[in-house]
Amino acid sequence: MESALRNLSSSVELLAVAAHSGAVDQWDDHSLSSAFDWARYCEHLFSRFHNNPAVRGAMEEQLQLTNGRLRAAFPGSTEVSFPDLSRCQHHLLIGLLNNPKLPISIMKLLFDSNAPADSGCVDVSGLCSRIIQCKSACKVLSPLTPPSAVGADAEVQGGLLMERLGALITHGRAEHFLDSVLRGCEGAAAEHFCLVIAAALLTRTNSETASHEVLLDWLLKEQPSTLERTCSALPTARLMDLVKEHLKFRDAYRDVLKKWASEMEYSIGDGEWVQSRTNPPASFQKLTEHFQALFETCPSLRDDVEKELNALKISDGDFDVRGLSVWGDLLSELHK
Amino acid sequence: MTRRVNGCSGLLLCGGCGLTSCPHDLSLPLSKFTWTRGPMSLLQPAIQLQHTTEPLPSVQEELQFWMDKAVAWGQADSPDTQRDTSLHLRRLSSYLQELLSHINTVRSTTETMKRLPLLGQLLGRLCWNPHVTADDTSRGLLFQCLWGLYSEEPSDAVERKANQWIRRVLCQLSTEEDDAAAEKLMKRMGVPPKEYHLKVLTKMVAVLQENIGKSCSSLGNINQRCSCDSILATSEVCVPLVSCPEAAPLIGALLQRPATCVRAALSEDFLEALSSAFSRKVLSLEDQAVVSLWIHSLSSLEEAVLSLLESVLSSKGSTPQRMVQQVSQSLLPKACAQHCSIFLVVNDIFRSTLKQSEGNNSVKSLIQTFTSCFLREVALLQPQKCVSLKAFFPQSPQSVLVPLLTLPSEMPPEAWSHHLNWLSSSLQRLTEEEEEGEGRSSTRGHQRVFEAWFLLVQCAHWVQVSVQLLGTNRLEDRGPLLWLLTFYHHPTNRGHHRDLQLVQAGEAWLHLHALFSAPPHPAPADCQQLLVALLSPGPQRPALCPSLVFSLLLNFAVFSHQPLSCSTQVLHTVVRRSGLVEEAACALRSLELRLSAGSCSSSDATRVHLRIEALQNTLTHMQAAWSPAESQTHTHTL
Repeated sequence: MESALRNLSSSVELLAVAAHSGAVDQWDDHSLSSAFDWARYCEHLFSRFHNNPAVRGAMEEQLQLTNGRLRAAFPGSTEVSFPDLSRCQHHLLIGLLNNPKLPISIMKLLFDSNAPADSGCVDVSGLCSRIIQCKSACKVLSPLTPPSAVGADAEVQGGLLMERLGALITHGRAEHFLDSVLRGCEGAAAEHFCLVIAAALLTRTNSETASHEVLLDWLLKEQPSTLERTCSALPTARLMDLVKEHLKFRDAYRDVLKKWASEMEYSIGDGEWVQSRTNPPASFQKLTEHFQALFETCPSLRDDVEKELNALKISDGDFDVRGLSVWGDLLSELHK
Repeated sequence: MTRRVNGCSGLLLCGGCGLTSCPHDLSLPLSKFTWTRGPMSLLQPAIQLQHTTEPLPSVQEELQFWMDKAVAWGQADSPDTQRDTSLHLRRLSSYLQELLSHINTVRSTTETMKRLPLLGQLLGRLCWNPHVTADDTSRGLLFQCLWGLYSEEPSDAVERKANQWIRRVLCQLSTEEDDAAAEKLMKRMGVPPKEYHLKVLTKMVAVLQENIGKSCSSLGNINQRCSCDSILATSEVCVPLVSCPEAAPLIGALLQRPATCVRAALSEDFLEALSSAFSRKVLSLEDQAVVSLWIHSLSSLEEAVLSLLESVLSSKGSTPQRMVQQVSQSLLPKACAQHCSIFLVVNDIFRSTLKQSEGNNSVKSLIQTFTSCFLREVALLQPQKCVSLKAFFPQSPQSVLVPLLTLPSEMPPEAWSHHLNWLSSSLQRLTEEEEEGEGRSSTRGHQRVFEAWFLLVQCAHWVQVSVQLLGTNRLEDRGPLLWLLTFYHHPTNRGHHRDLQLVQAGEAWLHLHALFSAPPHPAPADCQQLLVALLSPGPQRPALCPSLVFSLLLNFAVFSHQPLSCSTQVLHTVVRRSGLVEEAACALRSLELRLSAGSCSSSDATRVHLRIEALQNTLTHMQAAWSPAESQTHTHTL
């Protein structure tokens, strides 16, 4: 354990040297290769101990000490937190590429697209070339992907989210993790996260039922606003996939639609029901479409929901005049 | 593409391209010379420098062309511009190659920039074009151009700025993320960007592969839209991805799509890119996809056959086992078994190689090895998938086709002699008929004899069985066997010498027979002398092919019942005096390989095996003792 802490400390120092020190101008391909070995070692420490509170605590403490020392040596250096360890090679790479002292021979090695396999540093030679190839290939193919899908990126993120949740469930930290991810999302990122949640809920592997449950419960019970955002951000086809896949989601979705309707007010000026609370506001027409799609997907639901709407209409006075009860107007729109 | 405004002075930024957010500022430091000037003035610095090394006119003229292209590609992200990029990739990489050689000949970056002021801008724009950077060749050349412009010891501000710019471009290309939301999420989840992008790419490829795999939906109705409409476009987009391992499943799906719909054609550029990647050995496709590529592209099939020929014929001292391996690894026998059309092409190439090489032994054994690998693959195929063998050999004489294609292991050894007698007399009849009619239609006649011989070369296992039988000392029935052997080695009957050659072969057999059935010790010296003479290309005309005599000698040594020590001694003497150690070792190995495949009666197998081993040991000792000086005096080849 002590040696692991010592190694961790030296690896973080190595990261700082790679990013900030002029000493890298002495590096050769073997130094580069071993730096990446140490970075991989840190990634390994993370995956091994991130669920072990005792070890993790000790490592976090060690990191704090090391960061303190490094702040003094390299004033501009960024701190390395425990979660950062999971992407240590990436940190190393960014540090190196931004270090103006990095020898051009190392740059060439990293960007060499046809490095010989026996050069002794197989893993690092051509590393950047491979990254660029991969990113470029994604861009080249993305216009071809069918427009109806959520997108390969959201699907991959959803899959990764499921994996992560699966690892966290046994330690009861899944909800905490979801909260922290959500806290970090604002604006477009929050909307993107909704797509990822949907994609996660639609992943199909046997082992992920528990993760699905946790995610769904978190979404439905603790995150009403995220649920609403998901319902308004997703394409209808995706929403219907979720409705078909998860009964709990279906019911929650129905409630969201009723909530949206209940928040509508009739604007006499526009002659239209308007809703200003959700962002973006759902129009009366959009709301009708949601109900229609839901009925089409689950015909059995139609009677129940219409009964509910009718009861609400009656409680509003049961007038058949447009603009008096949103429920009445919805029903007549749905019966058209 | 967004951002990349950091480090931009704003001075010249994209005044020309008019984008709201444009990546091209990266090319700024290098473009400071002329960005604001008109195209004519761009040439001025170069004109002033005419007294020194001038860039090749083509490099300079084309620079403007590619600059215009790069600007156009960067301005609109429409399917048309993407297509245009894909279709220009090959030309672009040869231009980059020219640029690279130019950069490398000029003394300094400052000078290069004076001569080619637009260069930095062009490279900068190309770096941010994903079609260009996805392509292995273009990306590699682009980076090499950047390295060429990097000054290890910058001498002025321009070179220092260029260095900084190059570092910044490369850093941003590999570490910056377009999708901030995704990046944030991946950071929280602790997923490294490299793995993330790899997963996204794999996912995209899987989705597209599934779409491609969907069957044609128009069912022959030409006016209806169908899923095949996307095939051409997809294949065009895949041009830069041919050597990207992750894209291989998609490329494989495109190649293996059944050609049911007229709209499902693949782009020519796509096929060309694949062929070129295949010949450079940077293609990472599954075997079946490679076979499909050969169906789609004749040139890549020819390339594959020629490369097999070259690799087999150029490897000196290659063992028969190695040849079998090379042939099987080429995947061609399998492809031939599956697709008759591929076999016909391959065979045509073999046919003309055989003619050009005038029956060179390596070519002959390659053709034989190939045919036996092919027959093995045919046997492995499901019966319902197998086309009749006759379809594979339309030009061969049909009467002897099946008997020749039958493997010796497929019939009892007792039947070999009868089978060979029949084969020999059929072939003899066929050649005599054609040769007699020579006066009237000689070309056609020659053609038929050639085809009969070509088939015999393909099925030379029967020639080998006949030498084996000739080596077992049996006196009766040797006429037809000797005829088959002579025809195999002397197919043309040039100068009507076949009868004479037959007589010589008979005499050689008699000598060998005497040598290997004589009482042990001492071996008749005159016999050995005569053998050596036969094995050396002497002045006598018509000469009997030494390899004919040699194969007889070896088979006698292996199969005769003479005591092993005597056979070893004869082989030793003859081989030493003729200098044919390597050839003898190789012939023994191929004999061993053939026998292990089951062409020897089982009762005799152990004895023969032991004899081969002993003879091989003798040769090994001889090879070890063979001094270079001595080997120079013996330069016979078979």
